[in-house]
Amino acid sequence: MSGTPVVKAVNLVKVYQTGGLPVPAVRGVDLTVRAGEFVAITGPSGSGKSTLIHMLGGLDTRTSGEIWLDGKRADTLSESGWALLRRRKVGFVFQFFNLVANMTVADNVELPALLGGASPRQARERREYLLGELGLADRAGAAPARLSGGEQQRVALARALANQPTLLLADEPTGNLDSRNTRDVLRLLGRVHGQGQTIVLVTHDARAASMADRVVSLLDGQIVDDGAIGSARRRPGGTAGDVVELRG
Amino acid sequence: MNVWQSAEGRWVRADLRARRGQAALTVLAVAGIVTALIVAATLLEDGTNPWRGLFERSHGAHIWIHTKDVPDVPALRALNGVTEVAGPYRSAPATLVDHGRRVPIALQETPPVLPSVARPLLREGHWLNAGRQNEIVVEWSFARALGLRPGDPFTVTGLNGATHTLTVAGLAESGDQGFYPEWTPGLAWAQGPTLTLVEPAPGRTETVTGLRLADPAATDLVVQRAVFTLRNQVQRVSTWREVRASMELDNRLLGLLLALFGVAGLVAAALAVANATGGRVLTQVRDLATLKSLGFTAGQITRMLVVEHGALGLAGIVLGLVAGGLINAFALPDTVVAPLAPGPLVAIVLGTGLTVLLAVWLPAWRGGRTPPLPTAPATPPRGHLSRLARVAFLVRLPPALVLGARDAFTRRTPAALTVCGVAIPMMMITIGLGCWATLDDFIRHPESVGQAAPLSVRPGDLTAAEVYERAMADPDVVAAYPGTELDALVPGQTRTVRTRALGTAGDPYPFPVAEGRMFRDQGEAVAGQGLLDLLGVRIGDRVRITIGGTPLIVRIVGRVVEPEQDGEVLSMGIDSLAAKDAVPPGFYALALRPGADPGQTRARLQGQGLEVAQAVNPADRLSVIRVIIVALVTVLALIGLANLLTAIGLGLRDHVFDLAVLKAMGLTPRQVMATLVTGTGLLVVAGVLVGASAGALWSRGLIDMEGRDSGVGAGIGRPPTPGMFAAAVLIAVGAALLVALIPARRAARAQVPVTPRLPG
Ligand SMILES: Nc1ncnc2c1ncn2[C@@H]1O[C@H](COP(=O)(O)OP(=O)(O)OP(=O)(O)O)[C@@H](O)[C@H]1O
Ligand SMILES: [Mg+2]
Repeated sequence: MSGTPVVKAVNLVKVYQTGGLPVPAVRGVDLTVRAGEFVAITGPSGSGKSTLIHMLGGLDTRTSGEIWLDGKRADTLSESGWALLRRRKVGFVFQFFNLVANMTVADNVELPALLGGASPRQARERREYLLGELGLADRAGAAPARLSGGEQQRVALARALANQPTLLLADEPTGNLDSRNTRDVLRLLGRVHGQGQTIVLVTHDARAASMADRVVSLLDGQIVDDGAIGSARRRPGGTAGDVVELRG
Repeated sequence: MNVWQSAEGRWVRADLRARRGQAALTVLAVAGIVTALIVAATLLEDGTNPWRGLFERSHGAHIWIHTKDVPDVPALRALNGVTEVAGPYRSAPATLVDHGRRVPIALQETPPVLPSVARPLLREGHWLNAGRQNEIVVEWSFARALGLRPGDPFTVTGLNGATHTLTVAGLAESGDQGFYPEWTPGLAWAQGPTLTLVEPAPGRTETVTGLRLADPAATDLVVQRAVFTLRNQVQRVSTWREVRASMELDNRLLGLLLALFGVAGLVAAALAVANATGGRVLTQVRDLATLKSLGFTAGQITRMLVVEHGALGLAGIVLGLVAGGLINAFALPDTVVAPLAPGPLVAIVLGTGLTVLLAVWLPAWRGGRTPPLPTAPATPPRGHLSRLARVAFLVRLPPALVLGARDAFTRRTPAALTVCGVAIPMMMITIGLGCWATLDDFIRHPESVGQAAPLSVRPGDLTAAEVYERAMADPDVVAAYPGTELDALVPGQTRTVRTRALGTAGDPYPFPVAEGRMFRDQGEAVAGQGLLDLLGVRIGDRVRITIGGTPLIVRIVGRVVEPEQDGEVLSMGIDSLAAKDAVPPGFYALALRPGADPGQTRARLQGQGLEVAQAVNPADRLSVIRVIIVALVTVLALIGLANLLTAIGLGLRDHVFDLAVLKAMGLTPRQVMATLVTGTGLLVVAGVLVGASAGALWSRGLIDMEGRDSGVGAGIGRPPTPGMFAAAVLIAVGAALLVALIPARRAARAQVPVTPRLPG
């Protein structure tokens, strides 16, 4: 294991204040994810999985501890500093897809690319490529509400990959899907990972966890288990930008 | 790069596309306000400053030069700054003999074909005809004062004493001299031969020449040059400034009322825009959070929202500008002759623009602060079925009513938006109705604004006793108060104030006393608010004034409602004046039998050879306000309804889950609809009642405040009449319920989507 870790958390703590009472959600987590790694985070409900992954992507502020992204200190960034960082380096997939309801599928996928400074033509080409790969080329003009849950999550995945992020964070992406769609989405994640994408996946699903290189178990905001499973299927660094022949 | 192709542009475009109707409403609301303000300001400016319109339409001359002989026209035309020349025309003094009166007039030569510069504006009858001699066109305000109509005989006596009977061909307005009687002598236009007939001696006529300038500001300079060019020929010069000043009405009350409406309009615009933006942002929290998770910064989101909603507001301003221009040009071509001056126009545009941006900025800033965490789209209502509701169910009240009522008060934000969104326009509508009622009161009770006597007669050639007798002989005249108006010097002021002596201490004219009491003794007086403010005195104080060199000490015992001279008038009994000032009285103010028509009485008295003036009710001068009230009420009503739609939209979005629950509970679509309408209806009724009550309470105070500031004085304000009030409340509630029905119907019919709920 060499090179800078894609993401590194040092003694990360998150304490919510609810009605004056401190609620510790994450209590001193140390986590290092290397380029190309596929890490699954599991744990019972309320163990702090979402809180952790939100902090790693800068959606939530940490109470104490350090976060390093791509070798740079990130926890000290301002909100807009995080926003700029997310544009280039982090892709998010949520349980409830979170597509922008007013925009077409195509616009949803092009948005991060445009935000990242791509020209409209580049953004369109990237979108056409991604939707094509995910089997959604013919739904480009549709409104998200017209799509099935599985399709929406695939669009969300395409959007997360639009800027070829160094890190893909997914919070229970299959939590709201039936088994067939779950299988599809997991297969896609596997393929993306196969092309070298670094992934941190929060999941309850044992099958999903089994796809990962490494499973981290959280309990009450602390890591209770961290271990590689099976033989490493890791490949040298690279990003989803190199994904080709996803469909087969 | 094309803005629309940026990430922000994409989002703005998509959002606008998704809510075309709402966006159009915002544009229309702002456009309506701007249109109303522009039309109001134009009407007001035109009503209080008729000179501008007349001058514009008649293509008037800025400078009139009176010379003995025909001046050197090419030299005048060659003066720097002069663009056109009117005349030279001959002008002769003469006397009009009318019902035994002798009124000095100026007879001015005019070509049979209307000139292009300083063209008289024909209002009635026809213009002079080369074929028909002995005809004359009379200046309109002069004709009105004398009661002349086209076709009437017009008997003039020249300086040589010869009398000629001419015929009035028509009446025309002019922007080149002021209105009669402020501007004398009265003007009549005649053709060259007619003029020669009346005044054959060339030595007794003078020549007038008008100069139209490229830049009115250069008037003084051009006058100097003209006087220099013409050497000693010039007898006198008059300029547009004097004409304008003589035409201007004291318009402080009007100006203040317009300012009040302007502020009301701006508040309404701000409300409409803030409501639309705020409502929209509230429904978009989830999308905004998503955008942030994609890497949008807070600043970017704020900017995006300001651009989107601000653009709608600005589009409304542009549309309003166009609509205001079109209305002024096509719908009111007779009343409005000149476009609005750039000053008020810029003020309206900038004021609305700033208001819109401010109103947009706050919700946009809030939107920018949305945390990037994916939040739950909506929380189910926190309230439980109250005990009351359960009892209501048990006694079998319609479930729609119970659920709707509970609903109305468990969702705070939409509830507050609905109530405020309805209450504020309703309040301003009620204030508008209060203004209307006040104007009605002016008309119905002119005595309450100091016009107990609608007519006044001046002696002219007759003696005071003759005038009194002839006036009292009329069946409709019940009292004739001797009066005189003088200018008094007051301490500490460089200018004079109007002193009005009317009636006697024993038999005072019925002034509308608002505070203190009426004068009862010699040496007592009442004053308008403007005078009290001017002198810094209070009721009970003594003031020392000087009238015609005679000092006079009066005690102010009361304040009267004083619509004239910005309230800077001191009124007392005529017997308080020194005899030299009081005898004979300058005029008699005539009080009429209740129900008598002042116009008819005036015509009868004029037939008796009396010079009669009819008082102008302030409400007639303020009638332009009524147009503004109607326009504003319409726009406010639209804004209220738009606010309501926004609030309902927001409420319905939260309702999606409940609708499923309600339907699962076994409510029919009709019952679901009734539930939704009940929920909105209760809030609407609350908002309407709160707004209308606040408006009714405040309108009187606000109008009185305007009255005080304008010098007229407090005591004029009236709340809306009960009938008006009830009608406004009922119409508002009815219209609101009809509007609420549309989305409720659609929601009740819609298939309930099984939308996922986010973890809390
Ligand atoms: N905004 C918040 N304010 C207060 N407490 C919070 C907040 N968000 C989460 N918590 C608390 O922090 C703890 C961890 O929550 P978190 O959402 O990270 O758990 P999780 O592991 O993602 O659970 P799940 O599997 O149900 O999604 C919980 O006890 C939760 O109640
Ligand atoms: Mg979670």
